[in-house]
Amino acid sequence: MNKEINFKIDGISVVAKKGETILTVARKNSIYIPTMCYISKTTPCASCRMCVVEASGMDGFVLSCNTPPVEGIEITTNSQALNHERTNIMKLYDVNHPLECGVCDKSGECDLQNKTLEFDVERQSFSARDQLRPLKKWGLIDYEPSLCIMCEKCVHVCNEVIGDDAIEIQLGGYKSTIVPKGSDVLDCTFCGECIAVCPVGALTSSGFKYRANAWELNRVPATCAHCSAGCPLEYETRHSSINGDDEIYRVKNNFEFTSLCGAGRFGFDFDNKAIKDESAFNSAIEALKEAKAIRFSSIITNEEAHILELLKDKLGIKLFNEDARVFAEFMKSYSSISGKLHHSGSLDAIKQSDAVIVIGSRIATDNPGVRYAMTTAAKHNGAKIVYAHPMEDALMQNVTTQMMKYEVGTEEGVMALLAHSILKDADLDDKERAFFEDLDFGYLYAETNIGEEEFSLMMKSFSRAKKRTLIIGNDLIAHERAANIAKLAALIEKYSDFSLVVVPREVNTLGVSLINSLDRDEDISNVVGYNAKGSFVISSLDGAHLAVPALNQQEGTVVSIDNRVLPTNVSLEFDGYILNDIARSFGIEKEETVEYTKELSKSAGFKEVAFDDLENFLSSMGEDNRGYLLDEVFCEANAELEELDDLPEFNGTIIYHCDPVLQFNNYTLKAQQLPKDNFLHGSAQFSVAARISDGDIVEISFGGRKIQRKFKLDDELKGTVALNPTFDISVDAGRYRFEKSKIARVM
Amino acid sequence: MHNEQIEEHFKNRNVTEIDSNYYMVDIAPYPTDGWGKFKRVLKRSFRGELFVGLWVVLREMIKFDTHTIKYPEEKMPIGPRYRAVHEMKRLWESDTERCIGCGLCEKICISNCIRIDTKLDENSRKEVTEYSINLGRCIFCGYCAEVCPELAITHGGEYENASDQREHYIMYQDMLTPLDKMKAGTQLEFEGFGAVTPHEDERVKKTPLAY
Repeated sequence: MNKEINFKIDGISVVAKKGETILTVARKNSIYIPTMCYISKTTPCASCRMCVVEASGMDGFVLSCNTPPVEGIEITTNSQALNHERTNIMKLYDVNHPLECGVCDKSGECDLQNKTLEFDVERQSFSARDQLRPLKKWGLIDYEPSLCIMCEKCVHVCNEVIGDDAIEIQLGGYKSTIVPKGSDVLDCTFCGECIAVCPVGALTSSGFKYRANAWELNRVPATCAHCSAGCPLEYETRHSSINGDDEIYRVKNNFEFTSLCGAGRFGFDFDNKAIKDESAFNSAIEALKEAKAIRFSSIITNEEAHILELLKDKLGIKLFNEDARVFAEFMKSYSSISGKLHHSGSLDAIKQSDAVIVIGSRIATDNPGVRYAMTTAAKHNGAKIVYAHPMEDALMQNVTTQMMKYEVGTEEGVMALLAHSILKDADLDDKERAFFEDLDFGYLYAETNIGEEEFSLMMKSFSRAKKRTLIIGNDLIAHERAANIAKLAALIEKYSDFSLVVVPREVNTLGVSLINSLDRDEDISNVVGYNAKGSFVISSLDGAHLAVPALNQQEGTVVSIDNRVLPTNVSLEFDGYILNDIARSFGIEKEETVEYTKELSKSAGFKEVAFDDLENFLSSMGEDNRGYLLDEVFCEANAELEELDDLPEFNGTIIYHCDPVLQFNNYTLKAQQLPKDNFLHGSAQFSVAARISDGDIVEISFGGRKIQRKFKLDDELKGTVALNPTFDISVDAGRYRFEKSKIARVM
Repeated sequence: MHNEQIEEHFKNRNVTEIDSNYYMVDIAPYPTDGWGKFKRVLKRSFRGELFVGLWVVLREMIKFDTHTIKYPEEKMPIGPRYRAVHEMKRLWESDTERCIGCGLCEKICISNCIRIDTKLDENSRKEVTEYSINLGRCIFCGYCAEVCPELAITHGGEYENASDQREHYIMYQDMLTPLDKMKAGTQLEFEGFGAVTPHEDERVKKTPLAY
């Protein structure tokens, strides 16, 4: 089936693969065909008709964006007739388009502006009766219908890439407009992708509106600091007022090929401001001399992690980071079966999959990048998506083909059953085969609450799949039986065609787990916190004893879910001290933090590449040329599966530590534009079980802690598990995310 | 001139040899001995040339018809294209400010002396919240007026901007045409580069309307 099609565009011989359209082949061969509505990451909208070309032996024009070539055809992309057609299209786009380019947010980067000039539309010969089209305010997004050219890009990305399916076209000829789907107000995850793809100024960011123009902003390419998807973005900076310092005005992304979630797009103002405070610096040095350990978060760069490791050796202290430690432990167990350090999958692998299992994660909020990849797979490849989790997620309903609802705490059993169904016919060795044969299936089906027929249904729907991916979430990584779960995951990857993606919790959990040798966290005094709590706190958050720069004020690298080492750059200056200054006063001498980039552990897969030699761009065809992929490192694989433990039972009022959309951590909490939904979300069933009602202030006791929250009754939830946000409190990241809790009504 | 010729010029500094248009000015030889120098002193002292100059001064004093402008009481008329301290114009139709806050002047400013800040106002319009020009840095090149799409920022004739500070700023409010002047219809248009040319009305093409 992989037949190649030879044909000619403008006399140049080109080759198309199966499934490629004339436009994609032209673009691949650097032949220009103008488009207005085409966007590479979605199916063609085919609404603009700018991409028309002439084909030999055919009357009229063909749309190059959705027409595959046939053998030997000759395509002409440019002729007088085509130019006339395109000019007329541009004229029609310009009918009644408000002449407000001077104030429009899009001016300077507007497709309509560019193409109007390109096709030299200097005289309008069409007219239409204009009508009242009032501005719509949709929260973080503003919609100006009079500027809208109905290219439908926004609808396509929302549906095909993001999966919110929140907007649609209200058809009505010249009156057509974009409306929220099924309601008056826009109810979506506010990823803002529609703003990004809008070729004109119709969809704009309400927080940015009229504050600056494209030509006034400096672009700093960086990597998003909020989750492990490692999305590329550009911080756009400019002075804040007449005498003000620089500030970030907005975030943009290469929307042609990549996507951003709302936290990445709107949560950019988490930078830290400080000046050099020598006394604080000296007390930080003193605190470190006294310290028994450094506790740090994974929201740091690889270089910082490396410096912390050097400090550990120099001072002979311990390093605490539970989040990275459990991840490292998980991957260690994984390696002990798979014989290699890194998981095989990536976001691209998910996008190309036609069968996906995601287990142990509320993935839409844990890692939107994975969610978008899954949406892309579902919409473009018709992928079958199995969503295994104790709770339904309304955000995943659009793409999930099979919900596999298991009991809280039984992840080990679920993984064993999954492995059993997937590896039924696999070439396992005797011991492994014996493990599966010894399983007490009756007990497992009963305790996990997943029937045998659910697994056979899954396998049936996967039967024709060619590219399959297993996505492992944090519930499994932080599980008590994580070691055995990791081995089961490794077994699936080893003996089946499944590629494996283990979702790291924070932006650089993966990097830290590779660089640092971590110790189990102990509740001892004299712990210096680095972006974490401690007796002396060095942090880029508020309330620190010594301020250090946040991730958008640093250069360095992070390791993403794709095992890719991604560079990030300084978008805003930081005037205070940095970790390297502290290291230098302990005799760990390097002028710049990024000098450590090429010293990162080779045994973990890092390459000896200097920071300044790292590339950071996407090619014009969308290939990711950011940083480099970690080298695969092979290790001994001599571990065996352990016998399954008794599956635990979770009864009563259970809370699940899970952030709402647009929130990830204390940094997104700092961002002005992001909503701070810090309610305890529970179902009606939960409210009955906990004897609380909507709006109550409740005290939640879990794992020796007590916090107060307002309770919110959530129609979209079912069952007796409530969602407890963690972005405004710090929760021990090494703990299993479901917790037995006591809920008491305070008022 | 060809390159070789230019090079020739640089190599051979004796201009008389290359170009015959040069000639020596006819100057009497300087005296070399003491007697000659003494004679020159006597000649220069008693020739009466001093009084020629004194007479010219005296004549102009009593004529009361001087060409000297008594600045600062008197000032020269300034050409309409003169580029002095900037002005912010208002619209003739509505008296509102012409500036739309596009920021092009800030962008094009080669001495980086313009700063502008805008925001969305209550009426969903773009409002210029802050605008300043550092006249200490401004080189009065006129690019800001040239790039302005609205003919809002222009140059005026006000050139007296001496200040006791290098950083001498002018704010938006000071540049803006005062309302009373606007109401009186005495706002002057800048006629320099970028201004509306005469007969502009005849060149405007109409946009078709369906009603």
